[in-house]
Amino acid sequence: MPRYAMVIDLQRCVGCGACSIACRNENNVPDGIYWSNKITETVGKFPNVRHHYIPTLCNHCEYAPCVRGCPTKAMHKLENGITMHNPKKCIGCKYCEFNCPYGVIYFNWQEPHQFWKNDNALLKGGTSSPRQEVEKVDAKKTPYENPERGETLPANRPKGVVEKCTFCDHRVKRGLLPRCAEACPANARVFGDIKDPQSDVSKLLGKFRPFRLREQIGTNPHIFYIRSFNPAQYSQTKGGV
Amino acid sequence: MSANNRLYGTWMAILGIVVLIGLYTTYKLFTVGHVLFNTDDVIIWSLPLGIYIYLALISSGLTILSAFPLVLGIRKYEPFAKRLVFLSIATLCGAFVSIGLELGNVFHIIYIILSPNLSSPIWWMGAIYSTELVILIVKFGLMHKGEWHSGFSKFLATASFILALVAPLMIGSVFGITESRVTYFGPVMSIYCLLMAFMSGTALFLFYSLIVNKLTGNGAPSELYDGFALIFTYATAIVVGFTLLKFAIESATVVPEFLVYRQFEHAFGAIRGFHTEVLLGLYLPFVLLLFPSIRKSAGGKIVSSVLILMGTLFMNMEILLAGQSRPVGPKAEQYPEFINYFPSIWEFMVFLFSLSIMLVLYTLGERFLKLTEVPE
Repeated sequence: MPRYAMVIDLQRCVGCGACSIACRNENNVPDGIYWSNKITETVGKFPNVRHHYIPTLCNHCEYAPCVRGCPTKAMHKLENGITMHNPKKCIGCKYCEFNCPYGVIYFNWQEPHQFWKNDNALLKGGTSSPRQEVEKVDAKKTPYENPERGETLPANRPKGVVEKCTFCDHRVKRGLLPRCAEACPANARVFGDIKDPQSDVSKLLGKFRPFRLREQIGTNPHIFYIRSFNPAQYSQTKGGV
Repeated sequence: MSANNRLYGTWMAILGIVVLIGLYTTYKLFTVGHVLFNTDDVIIWSLPLGIYIYLALISSGLTILSAFPLVLGIRKYEPFAKRLVFLSIATLCGAFVSIGLELGNVFHIIYIILSPNLSSPIWWMGAIYSTELVILIVKFGLMHKGEWHSGFSKFLATASFILALVAPLMIGSVFGITESRVTYFGPVMSIYCLLMAFMSGTALFLFYSLIVNKLTGNGAPSELYDGFALIFTYATAIVVGFTLLKFAIESATVVPEFLVYRQFEHAFGAIRGFHTEVLLGLYLPFVLLLFPSIRKSAGGKIVSSVLILMGTLFMNMEILLAGQSRPVGPKAEQYPEFINYFPSIWEFMVFLFSLSIMLVLYTLGERFLKLTEVPE
């Protein structure tokens, strides 16, 4: 059985956000919820300033605090290492969200995709209302709904349960890459089996020293970051006193 | 109609109205969702969870107190035993109302039994409190039938005592194993919860009994309450000592999360760096209780227990909110650096609903269940 992991090459990542948009479309992610997200940081004072952009998603930790704390095993590990959630067992206690060190779990505070239930047309008699748009394409929640998401998880999660990235387990099952990796125009996301020494993931981890988020707390996250983008130059110097 | 009957009717009518409002709140939460709360993906747990913790800890404290006559054999406190067990049941019912309305999907609760996760402190907390509730109800039934000292009755008393000791430790561990929130992390939270349980349970019992005595005009001799007041003073002293120790550790450490925590503008204000709720809701009543004349007076007992009851509620809320005030990881992209929180009207309704269920049970129990009964 493989153990899936992802390497994110920060030198290749341009921060375009294609991963996040692809993720939203693939997984029918509601407003206010981010399975694929980012941490940005600006440090220094102009002109000596740098900007960091770190794409984030569920770390699919080996020792996942969300899995350990879930009272009903709604949050659980698959054999391939993916941290999966079963909304049918979720009691909405939100302990996983409270317990996640990476801030990647969200709660559905209300029925998702509220916008598409709206009956008000932008131009009355001229344009369709959001609800009519949904009805036109015979979808359930949104006109752009991806029914394939429903193969392993309800295509749209109901209110009162949490949700998060699943490494696109429904695609991986069919031998496809997670949608974020596929959509990345710079090939910054590399997905694969970390147990296979010949996989691209293993090769990259052998070649470049990676870092992981909050490694010190012992969760053994499976999102690895390599390299960094910094085109800045400086004149050689020994500093001064 | 006597004045007492009029008072009873009015009291029950008020509680009935609050219960109806609570039922409406329940309907709204199930249909609209928890968007009705002033919570978000940073402040995840709010007033309803704070109320749950508050009432559950009080219930544990009451059960521990009931062990004085029922397990430890201190017979002079037997006149309080039945009331203590009943109050513990009623308070736990109030706590369950609050947690039931906090859960996003209470209909899936069956999976707590069908798919248990033994590594989860939430699972243990739920299992222990549910078992304790059942045991207390059976125990109370036996006491009501006059079966106080049978082997089975003693077994139930011992079992409920042990569960009441473990349950607050579990509530503490829900927070204490959260590696991602360092300000909670460690065994301190469990010990803190156990101490708070004993202190707040004693406070509630003293306050409640003295009010009921005042209203009904009959009750146990005052020297027995003086004994409880002394226990209350010791319990408060331990919490004062523990809180000072906790404050000293938090002030001395340079762990980054604690440095941020110290910058946090205290939810209920501070006087010279000390939280207002700790000063007024813990240190002040403790000082009052140190004076024997105040401790022995009914007014002194009531004032100090009310201050403690309010103080513990605010202290619980302060701890709950302070650990959640900053977004974790990428959520900082979406939310401000610090999140302010004030409960919504619906959260206040959950609070009142829980209290009203508890008070309805208290009132009915006091009227129909002979709570001051002692064994033959």
